[in-house]
Amino acid sequence: MATSSQKSGDVVVEARNIVKRFGGAVAVDDVSLQVRRGEIHAVVGENGAGKSTLMRVLAGVIAPDGGDVFIDGQRIETGAKNSISAGIALVHQELSLVPEMTVAENIMLGYAPTRLGFTKSSDLNVVAKKALDEIGVSVDLNERISRLSVALRQFVEIARAVARQPRVLILDEPTATLTPAETDYLLNMLERLAEGGMAVIYISHRIPEVFKIGHTVTILRDGKQVFNAPLADTTPESVVDQMVGRELKRDLQSRRKANPGAVVLDAQGIRAPGVNGIDLTVREGEIVGLGGLVGAGRSELVRAIIGADNRTAGRVTITRQGTTTVLSTYQSSVRNGVAYVPEERRTDGLALSMSVADNINLTNRKELSRWGVQLRRRISTFAQELADVVGLRPPVITREAGQYSGGNQQKIVIAKWLGRRPDFIVLDEPTRGVDVGAKAEIHRLVRDLADKGTAVLVVSSDLPELLELSDVIHVVRDGLIMGTLLAGEANEKNVMSLAAGEKMVDA
Amino acid sequence: MAKETLTEVITLAKSGSDQVAKKRSVLPWVADNGIFIFTALLIIFSAVFVNGFASLVNITDVFHRAAPIGIVAVGMTFVVISGNYLDLSVVAQVATSAVIFLAVSNQYGVPLAMLAALAAATVYALVNGIAVGYFKANAVIVTLATTYIGVGVLRFFSGGSIFFGPEDGPIRAFGTSKLGPVPYSALVLILVTIILAFVLSRTNFGFLVKSFGSNESATRLGGVNTGFVIVGAFFITALAAMIAGWVLAAFSNTAVSSMATGYDFQALAAIIVGGTSVFGGKGSVPRTLLGVVFVSVLTNILVLSNISFGYQQVALGVLIVIAVTVDALSRKAVKR
Repeated sequence: MATSSQKSGDVVVEARNIVKRFGGAVAVDDVSLQVRRGEIHAVVGENGAGKSTLMRVLAGVIAPDGGDVFIDGQRIETGAKNSISAGIALVHQELSLVPEMTVAENIMLGYAPTRLGFTKSSDLNVVAKKALDEIGVSVDLNERISRLSVALRQFVEIARAVARQPRVLILDEPTATLTPAETDYLLNMLERLAEGGMAVIYISHRIPEVFKIGHTVTILRDGKQVFNAPLADTTPESVVDQMVGRELKRDLQSRRKANPGAVVLDAQGIRAPGVNGIDLTVREGEIVGLGGLVGAGRSELVRAIIGADNRTAGRVTITRQGTTTVLSTYQSSVRNGVAYVPEERRTDGLALSMSVADNINLTNRKELSRWGVQLRRRISTFAQELADVVGLRPPVITREAGQYSGGNQQKIVIAKWLGRRPDFIVLDEPTRGVDVGAKAEIHRLVRDLADKGTAVLVVSSDLPELLELSDVIHVVRDGLIMGTLLAGEANEKNVMSLAAGEKMVDA
Repeated sequence: MAKETLTEVITLAKSGSDQVAKKRSVLPWVADNGIFIFTALLIIFSAVFVNGFASLVNITDVFHRAAPIGIVAVGMTFVVISGNYLDLSVVAQVATSAVIFLAVSNQYGVPLAMLAALAAATVYALVNGIAVGYFKANAVIVTLATTYIGVGVLRFFSGGSIFFGPEDGPIRAFGTSKLGPVPYSALVLILVTIILAFVLSRTNFGFLVKSFGSNESATRLGGVNTGFVIVGAFFITALAAMIAGWVLAAFSNTAVSSMATGYDFQALAAIIVGGTSVFGGKGSVPRTLLGVVFVSVLTNILVLSNISFGYQQVALGVLIVIAVTVDALSRKAVKR
């Protein structure tokens, strides 16, 4: 623990009462924090706790609905440019480098020194070299980014932030893609930068890292600030408890009695970009949950299984009424009883400018037509029935899908697949951005499907949801299944520790 | 709307944040309905103020000019609604069809001539459709290239010469016949419009073209063979261009590789003015017919008013810029 180096410098950056809403959902709810010169301030929380949103507000990338950001006591107007000139640098979670440009060009991108509007590569190189030296990384300045390893790209990204000589450096999950040795290197580097007087805000899921270098910690849960104190005053166990927050004993009464039958879906040796060899089976009437952190490879896995993305290796079969069929393309999956509720419902799930009835018709058109001609009356009664089954409110099937709220849109996506009476359904983040009421209804629909014998595979970053729905949970990290937990033995702690890959607490 | 019950209305009112209210804006309304009013106003204006517009001879002339472009436009509506902007190669397709139709019919008769033109149309549809639908190539560039290829091949085979049809016979008879003031070519336009309107609005294929134009990804993830849908959209366009080629050949009794120059742009003008969105997913075949009427009448009154061809081009260009801007702005206005 880095308590010895606790600094009591001046407050450099302060966020006061930040509120940020997305539609009806509150992503950041009245959060305040202060970071001092030379301090490493850790921000921790589960997926979706609001960490990244808060940092994007701090960096001026998004405008808050309430609250202000101050640098040295001066209020900063929202705007990435204002924040950069005030000395805030954000290293994004997603790498934002230009692959076809060189290291030096990327580091200097956006504020290259110019002479009469022209850049001179020797000028670029001098400043870029200085930034790389500062973080102690040696890499050829003229190498293209596309030829670097992921870890080196991460360091170039940091060099890019450091080159601006910021007063505040924000890093969002910088170690997610790094090996332990690379992680150690990065943590040491951050300590050096802090000793040099920089204020560092460090976002991570990984509790041991936080305790290794952090001075203070802010814990976010569901957008709220639940803890803010020096790390010396707390323990890893207490931090995990507060991240998770909820009573760890689950209400077992609400669980359906799982009675899985024969294997319906059988996926063996699945490989794809981000998926490194996974075997998975789902039985009739069984709900299998895929847990893990964002970027662990869960969505890639399910898309590879059903053929929505190409797989590089592996074999998938579906067994219905005793007949086993190999699933090769996505179309063959859909033809053979597979349904897919994608992660991005607005771009992949629905045609927002089309009516509810048309969206439902898309997946059921063969049943609702004769010789290729639409049977309009049948389409509308069919769509109306499904809208009622999923509890669409208001159940007006002529209305455009885009006019409904997130929860209702998700119900439409589920409705369009329900009509096909699927044998296997994949739901990727089925309730993300959905209000509490609709969430409960969607959970009921998923359980009903399983009770009727459908094999269900759910991807969720929402731990309580995963625990509540799943009969079995596979925890995915780095494109591999790191552990499998049965409904009775899974809890938020052991799923999280498998997902984060650290033995931080005993399961 | 009247079907909404009171409880639904109350739920709607109460759920406030749950429902995203459609912003009131006049632009989406204009984009949706403007063409009906503008066309009516233009015809009334022309009949009252433009000398010679309301004569039988002139009306027949308008029909004659509108028919081939109109047939191309109603067909190309499918490509536009699929979100692939347009098919520039209709210029080459119409000429190819006309040249083959006259050249083959002179020696082998009309039925074989039609079959030969159909074969050429199929080749165009497959090349354009496969490149765009399966290989995700940009439609504008692909069809620009196939225009070059098509016109080039045509020049090569014709040696740059003009083909003439027989002085009499069924083709000539068709090209000169009328039903009252309405030439047969315009009847073909109406027939093609009715058939394609049905295909677009009532069949699964038409539905998928629209669905693809609204959201390609959601359509693909619905289990649809999207490549096939795009080939189909280009095939409908090619069939329409082929028929337009026959009609044009019959009317003028000549065929040459450059005969359909400008059809790409004029068809696009009619489609967009009719209210079909260049962003895909929204529009209809009857709307395109209205757009054809509007553009044809506008061109006609410019001709009647002795306004030079250069200014006519300017007018058409300005019209497209306005229509496309209204389309873009109305899309923005309904976006949340």
